[in-house]
Amino acid sequence: MTALVEPAALRSRRRPVARAVEGQELALVAVIAALWVALSFGTNTFLTAGNLSNIVFAVAPVALIGIGMTAIIVTGGIDVSVGSAAAVVMVVVAKLIRDSGVPMVEAIAVALVLGVLLGTVNGLLVALGGIHPIIVTFGTLNLFRFVALRLFENKQVTGVPSTLQWFGGGETGLSIGVPNAWWLAMAVAAVMWVYMRHWPTGRHWYAVGGDPAAARLAGIRVHRRLVAAYALTGLLVGLAACVLIGSGGLVQQNAGTGLELQVIAAVVIGGTSILGGRGTVLGTLLGALLVGTVTSAITLLGWRSELTELFIGVFILVAVGVDLLRERRRRSA
Amino acid sequence: MRNTRRTTSVLAVALVAVVAVSGCSKKSETTAATGTGGTSGAKQLKIAFVPKLQGIPYFEAMNAGGQKAAKDLNVQWIYKGSTTADPGAQTDIVKSLIQQKVDVLVVAPNDPDSMAPVLADAKAKGIKVMTSDTDAPNSVREVFVNQATADGIGKALTDALLEKMGGKGKYAIVSCGQTAANLNAWIAVQKKYTAEKYPNAQIVDTVYAGEDEAKAVSMAKDLMNAHPDLTGLVGECTSSAPGVAKAVREAGKIGKVFTVGLGTPQAMKPYLTDGSSSSSILWNVENLGYLTVWAGAQLANGKTIDAKPAVGGGIDGATYTAAQKMLLLGEPLRITKANVDQFNY
Repeated sequence: MTALVEPAALRSRRRPVARAVEGQELALVAVIAALWVALSFGTNTFLTAGNLSNIVFAVAPVALIGIGMTAIIVTGGIDVSVGSAAAVVMVVVAKLIRDSGVPMVEAIAVALVLGVLLGTVNGLLVALGGIHPIIVTFGTLNLFRFVALRLFENKQVTGVPSTLQWFGGGETGLSIGVPNAWWLAMAVAAVMWVYMRHWPTGRHWYAVGGDPAAARLAGIRVHRRLVAAYALTGLLVGLAACVLIGSGGLVQQNAGTGLELQVIAAVVIGGTSILGGRGTVLGTLLGALLVGTVTSAITLLGWRSELTELFIGVFILVAVGVDLLRERRRRSA
Repeated sequence: MRNTRRTTSVLAVALVAVVAVSGCSKKSETTAATGTGGTSGAKQLKIAFVPKLQGIPYFEAMNAGGQKAAKDLNVQWIYKGSTTADPGAQTDIVKSLIQQKVDVLVVAPNDPDSMAPVLADAKAKGIKVMTSDTDAPNSVREVFVNQATADGIGKALTDALLEKMGGKGKYAIVSCGQTAANLNAWIAVQKKYTAEKYPNAQIVDTVYAGEDEAKAVSMAKDLMNAHPDLTGLVGECTSSAPGVAKAVREAGKIGKVFTVGLGTPQAMKPYLTDGSSSSSILWNVENLGYLTVWAGAQLANGKTIDAKPAVGGGIDGATYTAAQKMLLLGEPLRITKANVDQFNY
């Protein structure tokens, strides 16, 4: 029974070094490092503070939501509604700070609470409904988008003040030369990495994803763990919405459209198994960074924009392929 | 047993989801219907307009102009669009309007090629067919209401930017959809006109950010990093125009890198005010809506359109080219911080 609940812990006793990192983090670090070295020699503009901070700022929202999405995918679920949820939070918060002059701390509080609420709706539907999460969240993707469009009232939100510029992409959003949004993503990832590796309730996510029936028999409160994963993702959607509003300006009706696919791409490229039971937030952070590096590099090199899609597609297929091979080897071992 | 129960519950919830989703599309249709203007006279003309998508300020402004014209000309104006710029969803709306037997059908097609057969079907059923804002050149449309020519826009953008850049230097273009025919036509003019009139200026790159403002911001920053001697940026659509300006502001390069673009006035206002955007090239969108209704009424009443028609509604300088069946609103408008407050969209 214990073996079912904490398989990784048992394995880590057998091969401590190899288990220090679980998925393809090492391979990803190597790929990113190789890319960065190549780009540093290939261009004289890649390895500049301005460029690197642009890359990590652009991927910060994806990385933040990706941390929550990793937990969800580890439980064997998925949340495709995050883009629409982000749109709801963005329009509410943008209107509050523009029309009511709500200060920064209150704006963040509203964003986080609203995010958790939307996430909890997903979590409850998934846990209590017993329907596949992709169907549930596909439904809420449309519902949340509907809510957001009604809140927009047929107008984009223009002239949003710079209340949340601490999160933004300008000078005011930097600490020690690094965007605050990326510091946040790294901090949240660090906490979640420890939590998911060493806390019992964190490990339970893996057990739920590995075999929900066995997890239930082992005394894990499966429903509660599922709701927690979706609510956490909602919280991070709220945080990402603050980053997306950032230094203000414009919030468009299409805010967050397609964000879910970028997030899922980062998680999958980061080595998290789409079947559940395996994956780390560190991998997700690296996955997001790899996608951001490639996107930026293509502009720096003056290559055609659509090559970004080609590379991301190849990365996803390679990542899934490697994961399948590893799984096969594990089973035969 | 367990399995069947599961299947049933999956089906049940899928059904609920479908109902919920169709419920909301229905709801947005009713909102659209409230946009109908005029009274229900027995012989009142029904002029329907299907925008690329509904809810963005651009087409809402066009709707406002259309409503005004409908009141002036005593016709019924129907404004109905999808909430996404999706050719399939647009086709469905056009087909439903054909069913409703409107007198004039005006479309701003997302995909001109797939719209052409639908328009032919409408014409076969006796409906007058027009395009406005975006043309479907190989279709049976009887009039195309054009906001401005590609030539006019391309030149206006180039002149506005090069004026700030002192007639020389490197600039880059942040465009949106890679297949958008009108944007690509403008870019072609910009390239040609820049080479002819400003030999010391150079377009170093053209990138595509989709309709995503955040992506336009980050691509504009990439371009400034890639070309440290860049002094100009063009945002080719209403999401990338504020995007390039925001990038310049966030990079702290106001006054070093100049931007122009096709942005709606209120979205551009903060950037025009702080100088991160020099000017926005656009046309009077409300007038475009007005002109569309006017042309529809002419068509339905069997009247021909003069070369320099007297439209009314404050529209001055519209021209009609019979050979291309094209009704042109006039010269493009340059919006700067001096006149931005005249526009409430």
